[in-house]
Amino acid sequence: MGRYVLRRLLESAVTLILATIVVFLGIRALPGDPARTLAGEEGDNPAVIAAIRQSYGLDQPLPVQYVRYVQKAVTGDLGRSPRTGLPVAETIGHALPVTLQLAAFAMMVAILIGIGAGVIAAVRRRRPAEWGANAVALIGLSVPNFWFGQMVILGLAIAYPILPASGFVSIFENPVESFRHLLMPAVVLGSGLAAVIMRQTRSAMLDALTADYVRTARAKGLSGGQVIFGHALRNSLIVVITIVGLELGALISGAVVTEQLFVLPGFGKLTIDAVFTRDYPMIQGVVLVTASAYILINLAVDLLYSVIDPRIRVGGRAL
Amino acid sequence: MPYKSSLITRCAATVCAALLATACSPIASGPTQQPSGDTRPARQGGTLRVALSAEPDRLDPTLARTLVGRTVFNAICEKLYDVDSKLNLVPQLAAALPEFSSDGLTVTIRIKVGLKFADGTTLDAAAVKTSLDRHRTLAGSARTSELTSVDSVSVVDTATVAIKMKTAFTPLTAVLADRAGMIMSPAALTAQGENFATSPVCVGPFKFASRVAQDRIEVVKDPNYYDAAKVHLDGVTYKIIADANTRFNNLRSGDVEVLDAVAATDVSALRAEQSLRLITSDSLGYQGITINLGNVDGVGKAPKTLAAPYAGALATDKRVRKAFELSLDRAAINQVVFRGEFSPACGPVSAASPFSSDPAQACPKHDPNEAKSLLQQAGLTLPVKTSMVIGNTADARRLGEAIQAQVKEGGFELELQPVEFAASLTQTDAGKYQAFQIGWSGRVDPDGNIANFVRTSGSQNICGYSNAEVDGWLDEARKTPDVAKRRELYGKVITKLHDDVPLIYLYRQKNLTGVSSKIVGVQVYGDGLIRLATAGFAA
Repeated sequence: MGRYVLRRLLESAVTLILATIVVFLGIRALPGDPARTLAGEEGDNPAVIAAIRQSYGLDQPLPVQYVRYVQKAVTGDLGRSPRTGLPVAETIGHALPVTLQLAAFAMMVAILIGIGAGVIAAVRRRRPAEWGANAVALIGLSVPNFWFGQMVILGLAIAYPILPASGFVSIFENPVESFRHLLMPAVVLGSGLAAVIMRQTRSAMLDALTADYVRTARAKGLSGGQVIFGHALRNSLIVVITIVGLELGALISGAVVTEQLFVLPGFGKLTIDAVFTRDYPMIQGVVLVTASAYILINLAVDLLYSVIDPRIRVGGRAL
Repeated sequence: MPYKSSLITRCAATVCAALLATACSPIASGPTQQPSGDTRPARQGGTLRVALSAEPDRLDPTLARTLVGRTVFNAICEKLYDVDSKLNLVPQLAAALPEFSSDGLTVTIRIKVGLKFADGTTLDAAAVKTSLDRHRTLAGSARTSELTSVDSVSVVDTATVAIKMKTAFTPLTAVLADRAGMIMSPAALTAQGENFATSPVCVGPFKFASRVAQDRIEVVKDPNYYDAAKVHLDGVTYKIIADANTRFNNLRSGDVEVLDAVAATDVSALRAEQSLRLITSDSLGYQGITINLGNVDGVGKAPKTLAAPYAGALATDKRVRKAFELSLDRAAINQVVFRGEFSPACGPVSAASPFSSDPAQACPKHDPNEAKSLLQQAGLTLPVKTSMVIGNTADARRLGEAIQAQVKEGGFELELQPVEFAASLTQTDAGKYQAFQIGWSGRVDPDGNIANFVRTSGSQNICGYSNAEVDGWLDEARKTPDVAKRRELYGKVITKLHDDVPLIYLYRQKNLTGVSSKIVGVQVYGDGLIRLATAGFAA
């Protein structure tokens, strides 16, 4: 187990370094000069542009810029945003909890709805309950977030103002207000994922319910609930865990539409704004954190696999 | 709130006759601010929430470059001078308008006595010198180019500074009515150094409290403010909401009380809501089409003859540019793209400006047949192919498509090139374009709306236009303090620009501000800044 974890950690470190290099070069390959963008509408003056380039080290060769960035990053200094003048780490420190909280809440909504509907659809096969669950899944997958979000805002914040249309309150600051502010965004963000989880759960449950061990469990006289939740669902969850692991990363980096709609100062919004303003330190910072999040989540999922299914751990050692 | 849906009026016959030589008719514009007629008193207290359309950049008057940042500064950093509702320059931190010496090379500024910064320190002449010197000399300062004509600043006495000029520059007063005129606390500058933006300290009705990037900026009432008795609010929270639709929804739901930059497409819905009001004022800026005449090596370099693929008759023959302009129906563009909410414009000077004149508002008529005739006179085969860089936003595309359809009637085949904003700036600075749809937010003094764009050495002359007469008139206008003389000179410049057509001015945006009916005292002038010093919740 120790060698397996060590190997996965090394792989993760290499992936992280490669990610920073790709992003470092990639953003500089984009058309659009960050110094020109920083200079704003008064910045066509070549002297002004040159001064900005010099003050942010943009006039240095790329390897020098990269090495300087890495040197600072390993000490936790991600630089300052040339646009706002605020420290990148502090800005990410404000944005990341927002998105993590949103993603976690959306994930809970998705898991509750997705697994529940998936189990119902599998157990109540070819009955109205399955059709209903399938219809909900189809809608969840088909309706774009920006439209769904607008509709719930119009309904629950304007026509019947029971929830706030925007803003964020930390769960540690005021749990009730935090719930009120995040309920609509979480449902909007989690709706698509709920549909995915529902379909995967249903499919895995259908396979499990026809498997020999389930037949054996039934023959041993276990109750329907024990068979479904104790045996079939437990074995189906490995698929769901995989989906959850993959989608949690996607939720963190892909929550931008929901964040824009509900004015949540989160990570996705921060990333988009940084790209449009060519805020190199901020882009590099958010990519570093996003890549780290993906890597850590995948690592956690891999380790969770090995706990749930020891064959994976053995296979890893054999490789 | 009453509102003029169409702001184009034909002038009297006599004026038209005088303008026939240039085939132009004048455009008039509405008042600077719609009268609210709201006389309700404001109660003390409360925190106002204002939705901004973009995130301000650094809250350091020396380094700041964004338009939206000026709205926040308006609450926390007063300037030596300001504008009134009629766009006249008036003293703010200064005791009176500046005194220019007869040769214009010395400018004396007297400062109000007894003013305190938000940190309790005193604003005096030394503080003014500290700020002006920082604006001029700090590395990366965005004010350097605005104060390039200033040679030195000296303290005469505790309430007077003298500015020695390299050359006479009348627009200095207007420059000092913007960020270059904001005075920062020397104590805070010393304490915070290059991080002044994280906690700016100036003189204002409010003082900076906190900022969370991409989310909000909070300011609170400043008890040290000289006019604090007139400030009703406890504080203001500026929320950053980039999407226009989301901004509007937040105003409707009551999550914000004031909305910056209402989208033209939301205006009718806003008017229909009884709980909301719309404040409108004519912008000082413009939107238009910049044509590349000779920008080959990049902005700031001497104009040359364009090569393929950017060369073409549009660059070399002013009859073709005139034909392009004659193909455009500005009123139709305003109606179709902006639902009639903006004002057609044919020049860089707003009709609301004291420097406006009939020549400045003259407008080439829409005449696609005449356009085709001009193209044929130029010996061109129709359609004349050309291209235009546009933004990649929905509004920019709609505008581009409207222009494309209109110039087709005039004999052009226009290819639209949607480019992301940051990339479009770099591309057009480098001269890699034929035409570019771009605008300017506008300045109080016309010099700020003209010289940089069409003067041979103008820092934003991306079209590569060069005309000795225009340069001369602009330089002369900079030197004379006589408003009437300057008005005449800018009229000459604009008449010449209409003849040479390096830029085609299209429309002037309106400053559209949505306000909850619970709020009183919000003011928006032509500069588009939301003024909250006297705002409050209705009693």
